Amino acid sequence: MTIETMTKDAALESLLKEIPSLIESLRENRETYLTDAVLLGEIPSPTFREKDRVRLALDRFRENGLEDPDIDEFGNASGILPGSEGSSSILVMAHADSVFGPDVRHVLNVGSDYITGPGIADNAIGMAAIVGLPKLLNKLGIRLKDDLLLLINTKSLGVANLEGSRGFLETKQRPIRAGICVEGAEQGRLSYSGLGALRGQINLNLPGNYDWNRFGAAGAISHLTRLVGQIMEIPVPKEPKTKMVFGEIHSGSSFNTSPRSGRLRFEISSEGDDVVDEMETQVNELCEQYSMETGLLVQMEVVAKRKNCGIPFTHPLVKTTRTIMSEAGITPAVDPSTGDLNSIILAGHPGVTLGLTSAENLREANETIKLEPLYSGMAQLITLIRAIDLGLCEL
Amino acid sequence: MTGNNQKWLDNNTFHHGEFWDILKLVEEKEKKGLKISLCIPTLNEEKTIGKEVLILRSELMERYPLVDEFAVIDSGSTDKTLEVASNFGADVYLASDILPEVGDKRGKGENLWKAIHQLKGDIICYVDADISNIHPRFVYGLVAPLIRRDEVHYVKAFYDRPLNYSSGLRASGGGRVTEILIRPLFSLFYPELTNVVQPLSGEYAARREVLEMIPFPIGYGVETSHLLDLYEKYGLEAFAQTDLDRRVHRNQTTNALGKMSFGILQTFFNRLHAQGKIDQMPDMETFYRRFEVEDNVYNQIAQEVVEEERPPMIEIEGYRNRNN
Repeated sequence: MTIETMTKDAALESLLKEIPSLIESLRENRETYLTDAVLLGEIPSPTFREKDRVRLALDRFRENGLEDPDIDEFGNASGILPGSEGSSSILVMAHADSVFGPDVRHVLNVGSDYITGPGIADNAIGMAAIVGLPKLLNKLGIRLKDDLLLLINTKSLGVANLEGSRGFLETKQRPIRAGICVEGAEQGRLSYSGLGALRGQINLNLPGNYDWNRFGAAGAISHLTRLVGQIMEIPVPKEPKTKMVFGEIHSGSSFNTSPRSGRLRFEISSEGDDVVDEMETQVNELCEQYSMETGLLVQMEVVAKRKNCGIPFTHPLVKTTRTIMSEAGITPAVDPSTGDLNSIILAGHPGVTLGLTSAENLREANETIKLEPLYSGMAQLITLIRAIDLGLCEL
Repeated sequence: MTGNNQKWLDNNTFHHGEFWDILKLVEEKEKKGLKISLCIPTLNEEKTIGKEVLILRSELMERYPLVDEFAVIDSGSTDKTLEVASNFGADVYLASDILPEVGDKRGKGENLWKAIHQLKGDIICYVDADISNIHPRFVYGLVAPLIRRDEVHYVKAFYDRPLNYSSGLRASGGGRVTEILIRPLFSLFYPELTNVVQPLSGEYAARREVLEMIPFPIGYGVETSHLLDLYEKYGLEAFAQTDLDRRVHRNQTTNALGKMSFGILQTFFNRLHAQGKIDQMPDMETFYRRFEVEDNVYNQIAQEVVEEERPPMIEIEGYRNRNN
């Protein structure tokens, strides 16, 4: 029976029935993606310096027989697994950058049921899943109608402001049926909306003629902590849901020298774009006021800003994804994304972000992924690709 | 440097990058009808064995069928080495189960020697289990010269050897026994062998027909004895060496290196005598002696290090029967 004669429900039911055997096949073929996770993960790939890791991904695209393997002007690697019809594409992507610099020892350890090492969860295993897809689909005997457009994108994290994925989607003119962002962790993650967010950096400097005898005079660290205290007084609304995180503070170099400069990094995220704008204005005003009152140079710099976007909870892509996750034994946890999903949705395509497995010590040098959940995590990804290919995720 | 030495270095020293096209190597291997076995000798290596088996097996057996057989030969690990190795698809053997009629001796050389009997390949590649930056080049870089050049019988690895300290990697400083012991000895007695950049490297590949003809010390002397015995039989032309770039390994204490040197010296002097380079050999002690100081009291520590040797495998009846 072909899809033309089957109802969408029956087609989905048929895919769901295959999930248990798919999980077993993915367990048997785990070398296909675990090896790449280790080889990719052992290449340092901090944001803006992903070149070496992307190069290996491109080599793998070539070795796995993708069409048009290419590195674009943004440093992204992409390739196409042609479908039997090829009238549209399914975009599956993972970011190549990591929070760990080259000074961190990138050595991964492999145990029977885990892999440990910096960046294995975020996002070496996610990349490996993408890179290994052509071989896996071939081994599993799965042939898609759509082209599978695989992307290892750069410049996703921190100040990069999704430059890699945005650049790719703005310049790659292909009909895209839907997009899937793959993250190593956390399994169960389901994002179908991008959260409005602002990432800011406050630079505080004492001028050359700073008067240390002035009332309230202090070094940069004291000033930064006072400023943080004042920023924390800004009301953070519960509705629309809003969050402010102070992520990094940097100043000073010794025990007993008052530093003359400091830096504070923070993120405001909110389901309301107006709230983000308003809080940005308030932080800016506080900086100005602090500058005037203390004689310091205090400046806020917006390093990344994006608007809310998303597809509805009731969108067939989200609904189908939830059904697949449940069938694979995965409990969905809805979580708005501040990552590359924004680029997909803002480019006008429906998309979701999935997590592959469970992880511990995220963004620590001993970051660890569990292997057992990974097989169902991979099964959800492949089943979702098949469901999109069968047209089961469209309005 | 003599012209011959330079010629050997030019012709027989490779970089793994020359062999990046693994598919081509596979074709050449198949054309020559060669089978390649990979052996990792282990003793309590659960931290690194999983990655070695995963990467080497999937890259060199699944992706490119360069290796026909992959075995871990273990000396009786008490940790999860065997479980992890087997979990990732290696054939796992206890050295004591191989050729049980010749008994069981404890040492890496024993595992390497028994691998000749257990494995089927025309070429056997040995890779140590403690390489934390394992990569397929550690195998294809070594077997490639044997596939390409019929006159080459034995290929040694060399590399940068940063040491792995708890505080991070420290550049170079590796190869202390090589620089302080082996290189001076070779310079005195086997000057041609000084062309081998890292004579003690634990990664090498060789043809079965030469491995089965030489004895194997079961302990520290196995790498040294291979060089001396094969040099005696075939000369420098039988050797090649490949630069494998960087190898990260555990740092060893100076005491451990002293013990290792003691074992190597036994092997070395035995060969000097056997090859007629020195006339008479006094009885050599088998206790390695060193000092420990505690609370200003000096204590002498004596450890017995006996470099037992296995005879050439070809002399073992069970092996000859296997071949028949």
